Amino acid sequence: MTSLNEFLFIAFPYIAIVVFFVGTIYRYKSTPYKVSSLSSQFLEGKKVFWGIVPFHFGIIIIFLGHLLVFLFPDDVLRWNSNPLRLILHEGIGFTFGISVFLGLTILMLRRWFNPRLKMVTNRMDVAIEVIILLQIILGLWIALGYRWGSSWFAADLSPYLWSIFKLNPQIDAVSALPVVIKLHIVGAFLIFLLIPFTRLVHFLVAPFHYIWRRYQVVMWNWDKDQVRKPETAWQVTRPKNN
Amino acid sequence: MQSSIEQPTEAEVAKAQGGPNSLQFEVNWGEKLCFGVIPRALVKDGFFKWHKFSRLLDSFVARIGVLDMIRRTNMITGFSTKRWWVPALGVFTIVLWMGPVPESRAAESGEQLFQGKCASCHSIGGGKIVGPDLAGVHDRRSQEWLEKFVKSPQSVIESGDPDAVAIYEKFNKFPMPAGLITDKEIKEVLAYIKVASAAGSGETQAAVAVKKPEKVATKEDITRGLNLFQGKARFENAGPTCISCHDVKNDAVIGGGVLAKELTTVFSELGGPGVRAILGGAPFPVMEAAYKDKALTKTEVFSLVAFLESADEQHAYQKPRDYGTGLLLSGIIGAFILFGFYSLLWLRRRKDSVNQKIYDRQVKSE
Repeated sequence: MTSLNEFLFIAFPYIAIVVFFVGTIYRYKSTPYKVSSLSSQFLEGKKVFWGIVPFHFGIIIIFLGHLLVFLFPDDVLRWNSNPLRLILHEGIGFTFGISVFLGLTILMLRRWFNPRLKMVTNRMDVAIEVIILLQIILGLWIALGYRWGSSWFAADLSPYLWSIFKLNPQIDAVSALPVVIKLHIVGAFLIFLLIPFTRLVHFLVAPFHYIWRRYQVVMWNWDKDQVRKPETAWQVTRPKNN
Repeated sequence: MQSSIEQPTEAEVAKAQGGPNSLQFEVNWGEKLCFGVIPRALVKDGFFKWHKFSRLLDSFVARIGVLDMIRRTNMITGFSTKRWWVPALGVFTIVLWMGPVPESRAAESGEQLFQGKCASCHSIGGGKIVGPDLAGVHDRRSQEWLEKFVKSPQSVIESGDPDAVAIYEKFNKFPMPAGLITDKEIKEVLAYIKVASAAGSGETQAAVAVKKPEKVATKEDITRGLNLFQGKARFENAGPTCISCHDVKNDAVIGGGVLAKELTTVFSELGGPGVRAILGGAPFPVMEAAYKDKALTKTEVFSLVAFLESADEQHAYQKPRDYGTGLLLSGIIGAFILFGFYSLLWLRRRKDSVNQKIYDRQVKSE
């Protein structure tokens, strides 16, 4: 048991970090234009809104929440020291957690039942979706069943994560936590490890400038309806762009 | 003519442009990587030859097998099933490369270990605290039994060992936590206990401290304990509040945590000295890490014990709210409010894809 804990909470995080950096740099070097994820909005534009918006806003808030508790544990403990503020904090986090869960579920169902999307789905897309879904379920389970995560994360997991980065891992506390929480921690490092092999790399190249960019106008200089008519196919203009 | 605000994806742009210029890219990559880490001037002066470095990295990488794994893995279509052993070999290489994991804890003597890990609950000749007095424990049990029990008390009790069960029953069915110390440390602690009980001077400082007669707790002490417990008053050394992990069935407590033991009847289970010892020493790994360098002060321990005692007495008449159900409901309701908010935020969004009509026509003609 001790050696398993040492592998999962000492060796595995370092493996994940090394593979993440080496793999991401390698992917960026060898196939730079593939450091992104295939947009499927072209193929299905209606349901995607109800999945992608709740999922992404939720995951950004949840990720930043975890990151802030890791970076500033003492300030989080100060905020949480009032029970009402603690409950507000947890309630907001849980709300976004539920929206992430619903969003990803909608996205997965959409991908599964739409033949057009199935064509552009690869095995790693499915694998990472399932892993993230399990990770979200574990997170919600922890938030409900092992309250209050935001406080004990600051008290116990923050020092653990810092000890990893200070190259002096302290795993006594982590080893004593319930197995659900352990799985969530291992899942986090697993997802981190898989980033360079999956569509998740797109978060490293998020196009923030799109927010301020002006609309681009895309024009065709031919009549698409005319081009597509079966009677006159290929005669008016050769179709170049769907 | 048709126009649209949509634009092609990055993948499509890449296809149109016919792939990267690798030579130019390699140089840029080095600059990009070091930007923000090493001043640009140094790079320009050729202090760091990044293109050389990256070539070096390539050759290094080809040897260690880690990147070999990434190179041979088709990164878009996932792992190749025929070459499952390639990633396995890569991971194995990293594990080997990392070498043995260093021992994270410095060696401590038996006495230091006893004071740090055991003295919260056990004395040597000082009488019972939470667990039994360990003076002369070697006369009562064999060394082998002791080692087995300290290593994993719960499993010895569950195996039906009559001595273990008797101790468990006698000490309020409160099992000693497992995994506090390693096998080697167990031997050292047991050796220390043997010597200390023979010397007969074993009454530990902690044992003396917790047995000291206390002043009687007033109503103010209990209120202060309640406020400390739920965080309305903060601990002097900025430790986390008790409700982060613990709950007490009491109407005055807002939102108790459920990670760790429920403390409603802890006072009658362990007694005043036992609770005081645990609060003072935090002998469980999770609690120990949480209060590292943030120990509770003596007055704080006193107030908390006073609160726990009064909560224990009153618990039969308390009907606190169920915060778990509340959290679940507020999360679900909140998520639906969010969905509504998003749809309002993008009320004028395009509801079909740009080429929807063309796609529909294609399907029709099939």
